[in-house]
Amino acid sequence: MSTEGFRRETGRQRLLRILSFRNISAIYIFIALFIIFSLWVPDTFLKDSTWKAMIDSQAITAMVAVALVIPVSADAFDLAIGTEVGLGGILCAWFLSSKGLPIPASIALTILAGALIGLGSGLLITKARITTFIATLGVSSLLAAMIICVSGGQQILNLGKSFQSIATGTIGWFTYPVYIMLAIAFVAWYVLERTEIGRHVYATGGNADAAKLAGVNTSRVIIGALVACGAISAAGGVLLASSLGTGDPTTGPAYLLPAFSAVFLGSTQFRGGRFNVAGTVVAVFVLATGVKGLQLAGAPVWIPEFFNGAALLLAVGLANYERSGARFFGLSRLLPAARRGGTAASEGTS
Amino acid sequence: MGRQVTPEADGGRDLEGSLPAVDRRTLLKVENVSKAFPGTKALSDFSLQVGAGEIVAVVGQNGSGKSTLVKVLAGVYEMDSGTVEVLGADGSMLGGREASAALHFIHQDLGLVADLTAVENLALGRRLTARSIAPRNGGAERRQAEEQIRRFGGDFDVTVPISKLSPPERTIVAIVRALADWTDSGNLLVLDEPTAALQGEEVEVLFRAVRRVAAEGAGVLFISHRLDEVLGLADRVVALRDGFLVADEPIAKVDQAALIQMIVGREMVDRSFAVDGEAGAPLLEVEGLSGGRVGRADLTLRAGEIVGVTGLIGSGREHLSPLIFGGLPRTGEVRLEGRVLVAESPQKSIAAGLAYVPADRRADGAVMTLTMRENLTLPRLKPLRRGLGWLSSRAELDDVGEWIDRTEIRPPDPARPLEKFSGGNQQKVVIAKSLRTEPRVLLLDEPTQGVDVGAKAAIYELIAGAARDGCAVMVCSSDAKELAALCGRVLVMRDGEIVAELQRDEVSESRMVEESAGMGPGQESTSERIES
Repeated sequence: MSTEGFRRETGRQRLLRILSFRNISAIYIFIALFIIFSLWVPDTFLKDSTWKAMIDSQAITAMVAVALVIPVSADAFDLAIGTEVGLGGILCAWFLSSKGLPIPASIALTILAGALIGLGSGLLITKARITTFIATLGVSSLLAAMIICVSGGQQILNLGKSFQSIATGTIGWFTYPVYIMLAIAFVAWYVLERTEIGRHVYATGGNADAAKLAGVNTSRVIIGALVACGAISAAGGVLLASSLGTGDPTTGPAYLLPAFSAVFLGSTQFRGGRFNVAGTVVAVFVLATGVKGLQLAGAPVWIPEFFNGAALLLAVGLANYERSGARFFGLSRLLPAARRGGTAASEGTS
Repeated sequence: MGRQVTPEADGGRDLEGSLPAVDRRTLLKVENVSKAFPGTKALSDFSLQVGAGEIVAVVGQNGSGKSTLVKVLAGVYEMDSGTVEVLGADGSMLGGREASAALHFIHQDLGLVADLTAVENLALGRRLTARSIAPRNGGAERRQAEEQIRRFGGDFDVTVPISKLSPPERTIVAIVRALADWTDSGNLLVLDEPTAALQGEEVEVLFRAVRRVAAEGAGVLFISHRLDEVLGLADRVVALRDGFLVADEPIAKVDQAALIQMIVGREMVDRSFAVDGEAGAPLLEVEGLSGGRVGRADLTLRAGEIVGVTGLIGSGREHLSPLIFGGLPRTGEVRLEGRVLVAESPQKSIAAGLAYVPADRRADGAVMTLTMRENLTLPRLKPLRRGLGWLSSRAELDDVGEWIDRTEIRPPDPARPLEKFSGGNQQKVVIAKSLRTEPRVLLLDEPTQGVDVGAKAAIYELIAGAARDGCAVMVCSSDAKELAALCGRVLVMRDGEIVAELQRDEVSESRMVEESAGMGPGQESTSERIES
């Protein structure tokens, strides 16, 4: 036993681990979906305009889902995220049309408001010691009231051509929101995966008591995560208002479920059950591909919701099943122990 | 075979016929039970009988097999060999699952629901039937509960939440519930450290209830660390040591000294890990510390010494390190190298050079879902930080690799989630991550809990190594053997205070057991009147 010291993983081991089905099942599912629909509805599915439209339309969803990854990783489930998006859109439209503020000021104020909402939720959780579900559910209801209060329950129109161009203008293939989403996803990925802050976020989410005893300021982590989430979702709201050309009081809350689905589905990818940015973005687009293909194949209107729900339950269910020790098909018991990770024998109860 | 039963075991253990009273039916018959875990044999060929109306105490050090026995009886562990039989309602002996179901357990945490009232808690014990859907008869239920509780000497409001009751009152509710579905008098109650949360008078309230149970013809198996209680309550005492039954005596033949002798056995003074040489300058000074179960504590830790802290559950021993470290709110002053430490800030304590290894590694010691590497480096990431907050993977792996080799963590896979390591290796990671912060003072709570023998030695070596490097080390442990092996000085806690300090040549298991139990100095453990 003493002969096996610490060795770094070889390149080949690393590659095999990264490419294993368990690690990147969504990518394999994407390939399967692509092949199926390419054969089923080749005329429409393989057109580049189909793909462009899909990616453009999913940019805001992906952005909101990325925003959600941050607090969820710290075990703060932000149920207010839908109304944060909605309020972002309404506030920005209100600043523009009712207050007549210039575009940059409107956007900056909207994002600031989003950050303050996150701060409020964070203080409710860490200082008033309200559980995250209750705190964010309450905040969500307050924000829904504010949306109606600000908008009077009406759409806010006449936002101007230049504001609309933020979401509709294109560079190369895609509209601006796709690039904005990628930039935000990159920053979120960098902070969560590659910095001390990210370690503190995951430690807080994994076990707040142990993290605190290891010197992590868990209150600050939770507040910071919710502030980031609030700011990004408000920015998502701005893009939503821009793409619709109106401030719509009803659209924001619809982002709650897709964002949560993508975050949970994403947690089954790449990082062995951990919430992560890359998995979340991939999950958004794999789900969208499936839905798009089914729509093109003439599936009924209820299919998108059904597909999202079924995919989420299946992916998370399988991941839990695997983590609980049971293996796929039980047949893997027949494999030599070394191939199953090589260390099963050392998992004693000692 | 390695059976070490002392000859006096003849007193009633062979056959039921030799039991004194004629109507004493055997309620529980445990025969030749063995249970092994990887690396240790927790119970070896253990046999025991409990008769009706009898209170049998089981004593033994930490790791002697007491809790394994309880878990085997409860059916939590499957025994490797042997049988457990319990007298059933129809007069026949039940085995296997039926036996476990026929025993009534009261564990240390009582298993009550704090938010429910006594009446509701009693109702929880009942089986659900088709009639359970019918509305409850509140009045009748309440009167019945009151009557049952009064039978055991309780007199309190049964309609307030359990959390509002005093600890002994709660224990009575637990006893009533455990016995609620008893068939006739032939029941067996297993009390597992029931007095850990009780103090003084409260214990007597519980004992009256237990005696009442026995007087009604039930058998009681009573597991306790508190020796005065054992002497005061039990009819018979059974001692376990290293998984073996070493004594089974009627209480009349036992006194304090004999009891300690039974528990500790032939003392092998294993001081292999004790650090020699004089302690250096004082590093940590604690004055008037109080909080949690600690009433008042003053102590000083010096460079290069390992100081042990012993005491029963509830003595304050389990709160001392978290209070000093700042994991629990405290009053009083803690100074590290002369500088006063801020209370309730683990972050500042770590920065000041304090490190803490909590007793419960799952709850407090580590983030089980994170990888071993992330756990190891969590308390101190600064040296790995480059521009823009980037953590250098290469520097981290070098660092982690060094600690893996130093502490022999197996498997040496930094990317593996901590929950997938064995207990011993998890504990090595928890200790390694504390040592990695280069502490001046290291506080450890139960450093080898749930750890196999091999890992234990490795952990002792790590602790001794830290002291040799000039660290001041404090080890709080319920394992007297462990403290005897490691410590140059041992503080004994009782009722929230440090009541004794054993110096180098006084440190022994028997002294620790004696002082913890409040049996004072003067009675040396070199008792001549242990019959064997």
